Amino acid sequence: MRPPPLAWQLAPRFVKSTRRDAATSFLSAVAAAGIALGVAALVLALSALAGLQRALRAEILDRTPQLEIELPAGSDTGELLRAVEKVEGVRFAQALARSRGWLVAGGTAREVEVVAYADRLPRSFPGARTEEAGAGLVLGEELADDLRVRPGDRVELVGTRPTLTPLGPQPRIRALPVAGTFHSGRTERGDRVALPLALADGLLRPGPPVLEVATGSLEEALPLAGRLREVLPAGSAVRTWQDLNRPLFFALHLERAVMFAAVSLIVVVAALVLVADLALLQASRWRELGALAAMGAAPRELGRLFTLLGVIVGGGGAAAGACVGAVAALLLDRFRLVRLPSQVYFLDYLPFAVEWREVGAVLGVAVAFTAACSLWGARRSSEMQPAEALRR
Amino acid sequence: MSVEVRARALTKSYRDGERSVEVLRGVGLDVAPGELVAIEGPSGSGKSTLLHVVGGLDRPDAGELAVGGRSLVGLDPAELARFRSRTVGFVFQFYQLLADFTAAENVLMPARIARLPLGPWRRRAAELLAAVGLADRAAHFPGQLSGGEQQRVALCRALLLEPPLLLADEPTGNLDPASGEQVFALLLDLVRAQGTTCLLVTHNPEMARRCARVLALQNGVLNELSR
Ligand SMILES: Nc1ncnc2c1ncn2[C@@H]1O[C@H](COP(=O)(O)OP(=O)(O)OP(=O)(O)O)[C@@H](O)[C@H]1O
Ligand SMILES: [Mg+2]
Repeated sequence: MRPPPLAWQLAPRFVKSTRRDAATSFLSAVAAAGIALGVAALVLALSALAGLQRALRAEILDRTPQLEIELPAGSDTGELLRAVEKVEGVRFAQALARSRGWLVAGGTAREVEVVAYADRLPRSFPGARTEEAGAGLVLGEELADDLRVRPGDRVELVGTRPTLTPLGPQPRIRALPVAGTFHSGRTERGDRVALPLALADGLLRPGPPVLEVATGSLEEALPLAGRLREVLPAGSAVRTWQDLNRPLFFALHLERAVMFAAVSLIVVVAALVLVADLALLQASRWRELGALAAMGAAPRELGRLFTLLGVIVGGGGAAAGACVGAVAALLLDRFRLVRLPSQVYFLDYLPFAVEWREVGAVLGVAVAFTAACSLWGARRSSEMQPAEALRR
Repeated sequence: MSVEVRARALTKSYRDGERSVEVLRGVGLDVAPGELVAIEGPSGSGKSTLLHVVGGLDRPDAGELAVGGRSLVGLDPAELARFRSRTVGFVFQFYQLLADFTAAENVLMPARIARLPLGPWRRRAAELLAAVGLADRAAHFPGQLSGGEQQRVALCRALLLEPPLLLADEPTGNLDPASGEQVFALLLDLVRAQGTTCLLVTHNPEMARRCARVLALQNGVLNELSR
């Protein structure tokens, strides 16, 4: 049986013997530990961001319509609604009207965004608890607490359409029952209330007509947008949940990219230590390399030997770091070890989500970078002059 | 197995900054297959340089060089490495054993480098070590061996693959007279048994006399001293 290439035959022994040599073993340990640390930190940081992102996404998407269509002003909403309902994949569609208003209860007034709906409470009002949604206003739990109202109470909604009276324009006010509350969460930017269109009639001055469209899943919503555009008149805008949250998703993405670049610097520094380690290893064995060359080893083979040594030290560190990082992330998530002040964040612990594809990518990048540094660090051997080495 | 060595007008100089040292200034050399040739010369005359060039470890600046009828001029580093692996065995003044490997592993190293099946060569390595009286030292590391023992290991290593050409650069120069004599006698025995062509650099006139021919390197040229 033909033995493997020289580098593979000798590298294990050279790694073992590194441990005998204080200076090189110190440098090897620093390089391996540094790469391990960097990779572990990267895996941990990315897992934390992924966990946070997942939680945030779920939270945000709960409050976002799957698809929203803004129709040009003055279009026939009823006819377009029927056209939209015929598009393949549409499970539900209804007309909405958005407006601003003030909610008054017990002497307190709050500015709110009013969403008036035709048929059923839009999905952007999650966790609604109502006996009979069609009977009145649905407001956020926190708003209800602030105003000290409960389902069944009556509140006054002040609309934006004025009534002309001899005393000048007067706001229109309507007393409405509170039908229930929804889970407003901590990511809401302002207060929203929902009420059936029938109850809002004549009270509000709505913006352009809007259709809410729902389909099977968030993924199905994306291709559906294209099909909807085909049946709609010019001037209408179809927005998916992605479009509606684009700045947020972009920010989350950017955050991960920046984190990746910043934490990678640890790996870069450690890999430079690896270069120094290889330089020292080669210098301490320079005459032995000359002897190997005299026995018939080509300098490039000797270069490969040290490249392999670097990859073993660095790759071993990277693999260990990935394991440590992933295990730590899983434990931190499983036992909810990182607590967050729940008054400030929408979560009371920091979730970690280990994305294995990402761990693989981090590992791949670390090993590739280590290999590049090793190749560079081993170039002295590849270019050695055997006779010169033997004279040392 | 043996080869002839033929060199014509070999030159080699080292540039050291602005100064240039001409070490070989037109060396001619003819060694017949199986011949044992001693090379003498004052320190710094270029004996090691000549052996390195003949063994394909270094390149001449100019001249012709052929080993076994094959020219070494113009071979690339990989071809030179292959030539060294298959054709040449080196023995050095300072043994040059690999410190991380045992005596037996050091002897086996040329087979590893040539990527030959290790089984049969392991057996031959053990035989060679036994022949130089080191059967019980096979598992020792170089650091655990005396100078003479290390040089005997190096001799076994150089001869493992039965190279047709052995180049020995002051193999006894670092040894006390008794172990030097022992190494030299073993070298003669093995070289004669295998019929190896051998170039031997030595400062010892007594050893030179026991070789078939003696050449002297002086002022960069090689002269016949005796035949
Ligand atoms: N890399 C180099 N750069 C400059 N000069 C060199 C170099 N290598 C060898 N020399 C010079 O070449 C000359 C020949 O060296 P070489 O080692 O071949 O001599 P030698 O005959 O083997 O000597 P010794 O008997 O002491 O071993 C010496 O003067 C040495 O200083
Ligand atoms: Mg010399």
